Amino acid sequence: MTALEELRAEPQQAEELARAWKNRPGPLGWISVTTHQELGMRYIVTAFIFLLLGGIEALMMRIQLASAENTFLNPARYNQIFTVHGTTMMFLFAVPVMEGMGVYLVPLMIGTRNVAFPRLNAFGYWIYLAGGLLLYAAAFTNTMPDAGWFAYSPLSGPQFSPGKGVDVWAQMITFTEISALCVAVELIVTILRLRAPGMTLNRLPMFCWAMLVQSFMIIFAMPAVMIASTIFLLNDRTIGTHFVNPAEGGDPLLYQHVFWFFGHPEVYIIFIPALGMASSIIEAFSRRPVIGYPALVLSLVANGFIAFGLWVHHMFATGLPQIGEAYFTAASMMIAVTSGVQIFCWLATLWSGRLQPTAGLHFIFGFLFIFVMGGLTGVMLASIPLDLQAHDTFFVVAHFHYVLIGGTLFPLFGAFHYWFPKFTGRMIDQKLGKITFWLLFIGFNCTFFPMHILGLHGMPRRVYTYVPEMGWGPANLLATIGAFIIAAGGICFIANVLKSRRFGTKADPNPWDAGTLEWSTSSPAQAYGFIHLPVVASRYPLWDQEKSKDIVTGLRNDRREVLVTTVLDAEPDHRLVLPGNSIWPFLTAVGFSIGLYYSVFAFSGYWIATALGMIGIIGWFWPRQPLDIRP
Amino acid sequence: MSEPRVLDVSGLLPYRISNKSPLWLGQLLMCVIEGSLLCLLIATYFYVRLSVDVWPPPGVRLPSVMLPTVALIPLLASCIGSYLASEAAKRDDRRGMLVGMISNLVLGGIFLALRGIEWRGLNFTWSSDIHGSIVWTILFLHTYDMVADLLFTLVLIIIVASGHYGQKQRLGVHVDTVAWYFLVLIWLPLYGVLYWGPRALGAK
Amino acid sequence: MTWGRMPSCAPVANRRWPGESGTRPKLATCATMLFSLASAFGQQSSLAPGGTHASQIKSLGVFFFWLLGIIFLIVIAIAVASIFQRGQSTQDEAAQRRLKTAIAGASVLTILILFGLVVVSVGVGKEISAPGGRGNELVVEVTGNQWWWFVRYLNDDPTRIVVTANELHIPVGRPVLIRGLSNDVIHSFWVPGLQGKRDLIPSRVTTQWIETNEPGRYRGQCAEFCGLQHAHMALWTVAEPESQFQQWIGTQLRPGAAPSDDLQQRGQEVFLSHACVLCHSIQGTTANGQVGPDLTHFGSRLSIAAGTLPNNKGNLAGWIADPQNIKPGTRMATVPLDPTDMQPLLEYLESLQ
Ligand code: HEA
Ligand code: HEA
Ligand code: HEC
Ligand code: CUA
Ligand SMILES: [Cu+2]
Repeated sequence: MTALEELRAEPQQAEELARAWKNRPGPLGWISVTTHQELGMRYIVTAFIFLLLGGIEALMMRIQLASAENTFLNPARYNQIFTVHGTTMMFLFAVPVMEGMGVYLVPLMIGTRNVAFPRLNAFGYWIYLAGGLLLYAAAFTNTMPDAGWFAYSPLSGPQFSPGKGVDVWAQMITFTEISALCVAVELIVTILRLRAPGMTLNRLPMFCWAMLVQSFMIIFAMPAVMIASTIFLLNDRTIGTHFVNPAEGGDPLLYQHVFWFFGHPEVYIIFIPALGMASSIIEAFSRRPVIGYPALVLSLVANGFIAFGLWVHHMFATGLPQIGEAYFTAASMMIAVTSGVQIFCWLATLWSGRLQPTAGLHFIFGFLFIFVMGGLTGVMLASIPLDLQAHDTFFVVAHFHYVLIGGTLFPLFGAFHYWFPKFTGRMIDQKLGKITFWLLFIGFNCTFFPMHILGLHGMPRRVYTYVPEMGWGPANLLATIGAFIIAAGGICFIANVLKSRRFGTKADPNPWDAGTLEWSTSSPAQAYGFIHLPVVASRYPLWDQEKSKDIVTGLRNDRREVLVTTVLDAEPDHRLVLPGNSIWPFLTAVGFSIGLYYSVFAFSGYWIATALGMIGIIGWFWPRQPLDIRP
Repeated sequence: MSEPRVLDVSGLLPYRISNKSPLWLGQLLMCVIEGSLLCLLIATYFYVRLSVDVWPPPGVRLPSVMLPTVALIPLLASCIGSYLASEAAKRDDRRGMLVGMISNLVLGGIFLALRGIEWRGLNFTWSSDIHGSIVWTILFLHTYDMVADLLFTLVLIIIVASGHYGQKQRLGVHVDTVAWYFLVLIWLPLYGVLYWGPRALGAK
Repeated sequence: MTWGRMPSCAPVANRRWPGESGTRPKLATCATMLFSLASAFGQQSSLAPGGTHASQIKSLGVFFFWLLGIIFLIVIAIAVASIFQRGQSTQDEAAQRRLKTAIAGASVLTILILFGLVVVSVGVGKEISAPGGRGNELVVEVTGNQWWWFVRYLNDDPTRIVVTANELHIPVGRPVLIRGLSNDVIHSFWVPGLQGKRDLIPSRVTTQWIETNEPGRYRGQCAEFCGLQHAHMALWTVAEPESQFQQWIGTQLRPGAAPSDDLQQRGQEVFLSHACVLCHSIQGTTANGQVGPDLTHFGSRLSIAAGTLPNNKGNLAGWIADPQNIKPGTRMATVPLDPTDMQPLLEYLESLQ
């Protein structure tokens, strides 16, 4: 068939594809979904629910700290709440929401129909949900962990944290870690092998580069937290190993080293996808290709590498040998070079473009303001003498909320306003979007700027109260007021989403006139993504119109088929039939979770998890009809 | 504007049983995950080793080198079975797959049996001291992976033997060998660290 | 859901610390006070250094603040300017090349600046951790406990070892080596006015030097989260001239003051006949418990329960009557006392100068 005939036949083909990619109806169908958009959206929505929970916890802390010797929360409750707040935000909100955005967007951006391992994707989601449920089930039965989000031994050991709270914490980490690893593996393979023909690595959109780097970081970082939380902490607590409990001859610093070997890359795992989002939004709203694409890619990759070499900057106060300290100071500061390059590239892009003042772009300016400030306080913390004063004070709390919220939440909100038409098929209300932005921006700075001052004036973090003589009251009150302004921004955002989803104007495929492939398909994107997979000849296929019409034909539409291409040059290699809906990922996740839940109480839980998981995996891989895949 | 062109891919294979398959890359990444886990445990081993004066702690007998060294023979030999199975999978040779996988299973089983015997001779457990904790953790995790992989091989044997299989299962046989090669390969440094390391550093 | 109740810290009447005026800062002052002398912020501020090391750190911090602050302003200025930049003129090749050169230039500059920052940081880092010992140093062992500080002045002569709690006296102008230990979990010894913090880690010994030339009181607080009452684990450091310090050491070396009247006599009996002796020591009496702070010279100390309350009779009565109310979760048990025993006990404890 010629191209024109193919294009004319699109309506029937769309029907055929829709049938092949349809989800089964009913609750059984709902749990056997394996399409990336559905699962990506579930990740995102679930993560936002956890953001809400974490935010409510934050507000409770802020109320408690609003004035000296406040009695809103008792000390035990306060300690539980900041632990659960930190844990929720890091493990149940920030990482999963980035994964969700990746799962949703990457296949669309690289021009394919699904991720490489759709069932693994479903499994990852269920495991994540199971982990979140574990933590909050514990919270509602009053067994919350209370040793902080990094649960230092020996405070988290059997002697000083009796009860099951810390065990729940440790296993909940395992859940989110497994989930993140699933997504990382499938995104790497998707990005490396399922790109549209012609999309060489040199033409990969920045967001996909970011997800690629982030996924590799997950693969190297997550095993470390498994060692820290499960092998060291949980085994010390349940079967009496001797790793990190000094009372038993263990070494508490060993725990810190391994935890931060994970923990530092973790913050970049959260941050790097946000960089990709920022890049996409900047390109779209300045209508310019990003300036310095190679520099940006290189600095992302360098960021990924350097991030593994500076974990010790979280441990300066433990008193390590001097040469080591000098090295880690230098490494921590050098990571500012890669971030600097990124910032400079974006500034140049913004400079060269004609900006569209959308809500999405507002968030990017907010991101620049807040993140750069947070990054610069990070540079101060990397200097050992300054860190020895600022460590474990509210100065650090200020730093990490500046980078976490400014560096990731703002780009994320920007991304939401930007990709909303693709997610829902409707435009998001720009005016409400801008109101959301100003509430969040003002509220944020009110909340967290005073914390720098508090920290320098001696207020340690994780204190449930303070004496009035310290003079920390007014600044804390300001912070509390700010937190409520942030909450108002949150409400505004939720209202906007609900309203625009129902009543927003219908969106074209490419309402922003952006350049990347996800905008070439309908809004909202169909489950199969593209009727014809595109053939790509440049970095911004939609901007280089004349080259963008080439299409792939010859894939069968009556089953879930995608094209596998080569790693570097994206030349077609073979076709691949992806598995359809399946209930086995869900069943496997349930069986596995039952075992892991039980392992909180006894080591034998692992045997249960193994047995049930094995049964699930056998069901998962058991041959189904048709056995042979015919061309 | 020029006429749009089409890239017709209908002639491409709908499946490939080779290292070009995405599943192969996925399996490789799983091995990388497992590998970084074990590497960190090796790092832990040395960290712990350097923080004490006497290694192993007084009263603890080092695991003997004899049995683990002998056990390397069936272990390395089992890779031949894996290799045969994966080559047979590419050719769609059912007999070859079965022979390869069964020999892999048997030799792997012998290795694990030898390891079981070795464990009975150890005079420390994971809860006796930090030396015991780290040695047992490494041994346990590696054994756990091996058992899981062998179980999976067993399932594949049953599937292939029943004749109820297609390209996906053949790909499964091929990819399964990646995991096995990895487990054998990673054992060599672990073996060196656990059995020769302390002796090289002068312990008896 | 069972939201278990636990008493919270009750407001206490007498909050004035000895020798303190007790003003409270206003909101406006807070915001502008980043670098002003922070008297209103109590005596626990890294911006109001009294120690040699803390001053060096503060100077470094001010340097960082200005340098990074200027960088911040430049970045934001460029970002804001880009909003008003029409973007038309920057389309051609030459303009693109200029922008790329600018990126490269800024990156190189960043590297140079960071290199400089590393050098000065490492330099100051060396200075603040350099052994201050000139042969005249004082060695003090500080041991963290949940949630109070055990303090021991080491001396080659075992009879000259001084033991106290929650309070450190140091001579002005003499370097002091803090040897940090811990009995339970990780704590962190931090007196912001004197020096950065150093963790106290069970199974290890950490060290840190402090030194000051200004007599005064510096409040410190445990900086590493250590459980329920991490918030109430403070300590006072009193820097005083050498002569006064020697005098203090002299007093501390003496056994607990003998009761000087009947009331105090009765108080001592109450103390010795109750569970107090299981946990506390008073030199010169039979009390030698090791669980809680040594009380031999308790009357001379500034605070009760690790900086939680100023030391006076009213607060002490409240503390002994119900420690769990003042510091929920503290390791000190509530000892039932006959109401008539309280007054003598207070008299006795306060007499332990
Ligand atoms: C998104 C997350 C994120 C990001 C991106 C960062 C970025 C950085 N962080 Fe942060 N950090 C955290 C999250 C993050 N951090 C968290 C969660 C903690 C606390 C954990 C806990 O204890 O609970 C923490 C704690 C933390 C510490 C330990 C503090 C302590 O506990 O004592 C340190 C110390 O070095 C540090 C340093 C840095 C540095 C140097 C960067 C750099 O990457 C920043 C680089 C960016 C810039 C510098 C700005 C842009 C650059 C320019 C405009 C160029 C020009 C600049 C110069 C010439 C200087 N961070
Ligand atoms: C991505 C990570 C993330 C995010 C987004 C946040 C968001 C917030 N954090 Fe968080 N925080 C951490 C990560 C994060 N935090 C970590 C890792 C720690 C360390 C924990 C530890 O020490 O172990 C910490 C610790 C921490 C502390 C220090 C506790 C202590 O040391 O004593 C404080 C104190 O103020 C705080 C406050 C806040 C506030 C006010 C917000 C606000 O921005 C939240 C605003 C959001 C909402 C309010 C939800 C949205 C609102 C709505 C949808 C409206 C509807 C709801 C209501 C009206 C109730 N956080
Ligand atoms: C179960 C052990 C225990 C008993 C019994 C006990 N104490 Fe205590 N005491 C402590 C501990 C532990 C502390 C430190 C508490 C803290 O700061 O959190 C303490 C602190 C104190 C302090 C404050 C010391 C300081 O320097 O801050 C005083 C005074 C005191 N106890 C007096 C008494 C008296 C009087 C009794 C008997 C009526 C008593 N204690 C019984 C354990 C005990
Ligand atoms: Cu001791 Cu915090
Ligand atoms: Cu870090």
